[in-house]
Amino acid sequence: MSFLEVKDLQVYFPIKGGIFNRTVDYIKAVDGVSFELEQGKTYGLVGESGSGKSTTGRAIIGLEEVTSGQIFFEGKDITDKKAKNKNFRKDVQMIFQDPYSSLNPRKRVLDIVAEPLRNFEKLSKQEEKKRVQELLDIVNVSTDSIYKYPHEFSGGQRQRIGVARAIALKPKLIIADEPVSALDVSVQAQVLNFLQEIQKELNLTYLFISHDLGVVKHMCDNISIMYKGRYVEQGSTKDIFENPQHIYTKRLIAAIPDIDPKNRDKQFKFRQEVAKEYRESYDTYFDGDGLAFGLQSISNTHKVALPEKG
Amino acid sequence: MEADTVEIVEQKSPSSLSILLRELIRDKLALISLIFLILIAGFVFGLSLFLDQAEIVTVDLFAINAPPSDQFILGTDYGGRDVFGQLIIGTRNSLAIGILVTLISGIFGIAYGVVSGYFGGHVDNALMRIIDFFMVLPFLLIIIVFVSMTSNYSIVSFSLIMAAFSWMGIARLIRSKALQEKELDYAQASKTLGTSNFNIIFKQVLPNITSLIIVTMTLNLASNIGLESGLSFLGFGFPEDTPSLGTLLSYARNPQTLEFRWWIWAPAAILILLLMLSVRNVGEALRRAADARQRRG
Repeated sequence: MSFLEVKDLQVYFPIKGGIFNRTVDYIKAVDGVSFELEQGKTYGLVGESGSGKSTTGRAIIGLEEVTSGQIFFEGKDITDKKAKNKNFRKDVQMIFQDPYSSLNPRKRVLDIVAEPLRNFEKLSKQEEKKRVQELLDIVNVSTDSIYKYPHEFSGGQRQRIGVARAIALKPKLIIADEPVSALDVSVQAQVLNFLQEIQKELNLTYLFISHDLGVVKHMCDNISIMYKGRYVEQGSTKDIFENPQHIYTKRLIAAIPDIDPKNRDKQFKFRQEVAKEYRESYDTYFDGDGLAFGLQSISNTHKVALPEKG
Repeated sequence: MEADTVEIVEQKSPSSLSILLRELIRDKLALISLIFLILIAGFVFGLSLFLDQAEIVTVDLFAINAPPSDQFILGTDYGGRDVFGQLIIGTRNSLAIGILVTLISGIFGIAYGVVSGYFGGHVDNALMRIIDFFMVLPFLLIIIVFVSMTSNYSIVSFSLIMAAFSWMGIARLIRSKALQEKELDYAQASKTLGTSNFNIIFKQVLPNITSLIIVTMTLNLASNIGLESGLSFLGFGFPEDTPSLGTLLSYARNPQTLEFRWWIWAPAAILILLLMLSVRNVGEALRRAADARQRRG
């Protein structure tokens, strides 16, 4: 029994049109994605915008309707919205991308961080305040600011308040949907290091959704690359960065900027090579619709989307 | 750690009421308007306790159309009835109806709209079709029929019939705002935190549309007072023995009164104007107070 298992997940959004507003087609935001998470590890989900990585995360926590496929959390099928019971809500939390809209502007920090506590634990006002102060202490936000409103904080502080809210119930899994992409780089490092610290303390599992390969390399044990709703490559961080097999992965890695001027020519050449390979071997990696093939195992930890060899 | 806790307990957060008050005090015009409104309301509701409506509306043939004098501060109308007494009771009736209609239609409309917008989909579709049905009803006609059929109606029943046809506007407005709000991350976050739909609607989403609610409710208050006066002016509101600002105004339909007997209609007209302006000024200040970024105080 794995911690979280996603089997052939599909999330389609209908395109309405024509007479009577019929459904004329679907956008296949997530098109057959399967993966398993182990407790205590960090999984990266990487892809360009619109590749369906956020939708995958949102479908797991129940913010998007699952079209087909199954999701198991600790062995229980939680695909259906009704199956997402109190325990599931308590064990799985989410960190949102935008620290400016994910906190209710009309609520004080105390109310924001205490919201999950009020839903699940019956605490007295004093206990509740103490817990909130402890949580703010963990995320390094000054504890005497519990009566402030979100707009009085900087982006980094707000994101950490969001983190405090997410860890308030001591969840087992946190889905972090681009938690640092709205922050500037100095604050990014702060928040990331902090996420790693509390991971050790609370034995958290992260599903880390990001488009920033640098961040993912820093954070994750395992990485999956998504493209147009499908996985193109899945493997340990080492597999992905040192032995990328799919041309899309190679292009992503080639695109990571290298600030050392000595390597400039080398990088430039490498990029050109990858670009050439991409043009020449496009058909070997993508089917007629420009989508990735099914995943094939090439080692114990490493899977790549390649056409089946006949 | 303990010292911290003690310090925080002492530091009270400003309550929303004190924020509203602070904003009103900052805005002198709104403050004056509010004081004016409170004075008028207090004066009118207080004084009307001592006035006998039946006596005021009794026809006195010996004092027809008397100009203002010591006996009648604002003169009398064509039935010899004291205009000042009518003005006091009329303002009370008009205010009471305006407030009642606004509250009833507002509370119902807000609940209806926010539920419709939050749940969306089929629920929204069904609820909106009901609104469409209410909107195509010719509501003036229905009120006029109601008024001519029922001989004895009270302020409450008249308010109810008016409210029954004026909740759709605010419901639609709130619905469109709720549709936007529920897509924002904080509402989605509340869902993932296990908050119930009821609590998300009324504790998370609703506070974020208070500024909209306050502005619409205040504007509705002004327009409901206007609507009642309009109906009475046309003769479909209260009969002459139940004075309102509109019945006093309707005397001005007589050209003689309009030209030579200003004391009958001018006070009521000025009072309506002042009431409307004051309500609007206060509404504007409240709107700013509800939005932290626009506050002056």
